[in-house]
Amino acid sequence: MAADRHSDGVPPEGVTGADRFRVALGGCPRRRVLRLTLDAWVRTFFGGSAMVTILVLGLIMVFLFREGAGFLPEHHRSLTLYRRTGQEFVDAIRAPLADHQALNRYLGRVRASEVEGLRAAGMGEPDVREAMAAFDEFAARFRGAGQLLRDFADEAGGMALATRNASQAGETVDFVRGATALRALLPQAGVVLREFRETVEAVCAAAPAPRCDGSRRPWARFREMVGRLGASVSGAHERAMAWDPDRRVPIGESLAAFFWGRRWVTNSEWHDRYGLLPLLGGSFCISVVAIAIAVPFSVAAAIFVSQFASAAERNIVKPAIEFIAAIPSIVLGFFGITVLGSGIQWLSQQPWMSWVPFFPVSERLNILTAGLMLALMASPTIFTLAEDALDRVPRAFAEGSLALGATRLQTVIRMVVPAALSGIVAAILLGFGRVVGETMVVLLVAGNRLEIPDITLGMGVLFQPAHTMTGIIAQELGEVPRGGLHYRALFMVGVTLFALVLAINYAAERVVRRFRPARH
Amino acid sequence: MAWAACATAGERLVIKGSDTIGAELIPPMREAYLAKGNDTTFEIAAEGSTTGITALMEGDDDSCHIAMSSRELSAIERLRAKINGVDIREVTIAYDGIAVVVNAKNPVSGLTRRQVEDIFSGDVADWHAVGGDAGAISIYTRNTSSGTYSGFKWLAMRKRDYAPSAQKMAGNQQVAAEVANNPNGIGYVGLPYAAGDGLKIVTIDGRAPSQETIRDGTYPYSRPLYLYTRGEPRGEPARFIEFVLGPDGQRVVSEHGFVPVAGVWRRAGVGGGHGG
Repeated sequence: MAADRHSDGVPPEGVTGADRFRVALGGCPRRRVLRLTLDAWVRTFFGGSAMVTILVLGLIMVFLFREGAGFLPEHHRSLTLYRRTGQEFVDAIRAPLADHQALNRYLGRVRASEVEGLRAAGMGEPDVREAMAAFDEFAARFRGAGQLLRDFADEAGGMALATRNASQAGETVDFVRGATALRALLPQAGVVLREFRETVEAVCAAAPAPRCDGSRRPWARFREMVGRLGASVSGAHERAMAWDPDRRVPIGESLAAFFWGRRWVTNSEWHDRYGLLPLLGGSFCISVVAIAIAVPFSVAAAIFVSQFASAAERNIVKPAIEFIAAIPSIVLGFFGITVLGSGIQWLSQQPWMSWVPFFPVSERLNILTAGLMLALMASPTIFTLAEDALDRVPRAFAEGSLALGATRLQTVIRMVVPAALSGIVAAILLGFGRVVGETMVVLLVAGNRLEIPDITLGMGVLFQPAHTMTGIIAQELGEVPRGGLHYRALFMVGVTLFALVLAINYAAERVVRRFRPARH
Repeated sequence: MAWAACATAGERLVIKGSDTIGAELIPPMREAYLAKGNDTTFEIAAEGSTTGITALMEGDDDSCHIAMSSRELSAIERLRAKINGVDIREVTIAYDGIAVVVNAKNPVSGLTRRQVEDIFSGDVADWHAVGGDAGAISIYTRNTSSGTYSGFKWLAMRKRDYAPSAQKMAGNQQVAAEVANNPNGIGYVGLPYAAGDGLKIVTIDGRAPSQETIRDGTYPYSRPLYLYTRGEPRGEPARFIEFVLGPDGQRVVSEHGFVPVAGVWRRAGVGGGHGG
């Protein structure tokens, strides 16, 4: 009989009321394992999991910063060597050639505007070619003007390089002798630089006149740039004279050359440069494009689903958008290249699209393609978080507004959205963080060009290829020897990326706290 | 790593390095080698010459048996080997020509060496300056870990740096695909990739890359392909290399668009200039 009563759920003696309650809920009576009850174990497990997460985060930070910190002294050594071997001296002499190269490029634009003008005047193709003959001759002469300076710099560069290679190979190097030999070139360098300047000016004095109105402005701009070349030449001479192989490189220079460096050159036979700006610029441009495209769509979709949609509509739209997050990014990357990139390129090459500025685009991998793909990837994040924020607005707000006679639309736009604004802004920021950190898609689709995007082109910047901070790490980390300068430079990029995303998330957090509507 | 766990039966051979060799030459070589009745598990990682040499030098005997490289060891790598006390052996297994390709629609069909250097270093930025229709040149290069990246700098650019506007692509195939898609594109690829749709091979100083011109060195951008080992190869790596250099291996070489060569072992660093 007693056994029957037990099986009916009546607890045995010596059991507390709390245990009885637990049994009634379907649990089992308190049993202790290693002096802890099951509850305590579960609590420990949960707490432990949270601790492990924090611990791992801490480890990642320590690891990142430890590897990145080594960059400073290493980079400093590299910069010191660059100065001592005289490569700095040679680069100072060579500097005007970069401006000359830019001018050569710009002449291409001038020519394009001339040709356009002539064609618009109804000239046929052979006539255009004939009319441009004088220009082409001028352009060739202009290009040739840099030859002497280039040869001279190459020769001096060979001397500096010999010193550097010997030093890197661990031989004892007489830096003083190398420096003296280079300094002895200074008078010659002065002559060569002056000659370069005079040749350029003489060539430009004989430049053909603009053939049409449309090319007047490019021509004026060209002349203005040529005028600046003179300053660049005298600056180069001054810097070459000021070169002192024994002057210490300040340690801050090591950081400044990273954060403000305009070029990222690796595996160079001359001098590796680790400048962040092209990567930062690329990441920034792509992210801004992605967010600018993603925000209107995903916020509008969130407002629709949260405020207007019927249950049936919501059940279709919400899972569909959230499913995008489940698509592997490599698949999106393939889609980006073969469908989106080629599609945009094809579209831009159609004759009826030629009125759009910057069309036809030649590169199918560019900032716009990458931005579009990332917009797609950021949408689920922004959508979900924004929709949550809208749902959290107390119903009393909307009810009050409706009761006062406002329409549904007025209520949403004047009451609900402003009340949820902090959440929406936070959603956008988190989406931004997601986009900045995305790797696979940008690596495949952005075109990987290590140049600061040229914002002076206006909207044309959209069709330029770019490289990103995440992309460079993915592309180059596998190849570099552990512990080398290049390796550490990539970790510095990682640290910067980490700090950036942390700052964005922190900002999102702050926004939510600051503007949380007063309720309760 | 998962592969390594599977390698229970037979020998295991880890080959790392150049993607020109690793993607084009080694897989058919493996098939031919296995068809000979060898029971070997291959692990091939083709991510650029530098990765292979680094793995060979920094790993232990088991993490990389053979490194593939489409360029010679650099002075710094040689020095690193010396410091680490690693005796690196080199063998030439084939010749490869680097073809300069443009879009099939481009009227330019021949360039001089000087023009190629000017284009890739950014001195010339418009097709018009080298005899084509006006349009900004889009340069496609390999990424920095590729042997082709530095090989081309040595062969064609007097070691100058690429123009900042150059776009870095992960593989030969990607360079070919982008140039085929961009009327203003120019790039360089290994000879087997140059025959793709929408591409046109540019003659250099009037010479087109072919088996003959690459072998006799009249085509300027030709280069040897190397395998490297730690010390004198023994056991499975030695057998495989012997196979590659043998008649069967060299037949695979020529069947896949490369130029066969009779290889001789020598220690890296003892003489030998770059280029073919």
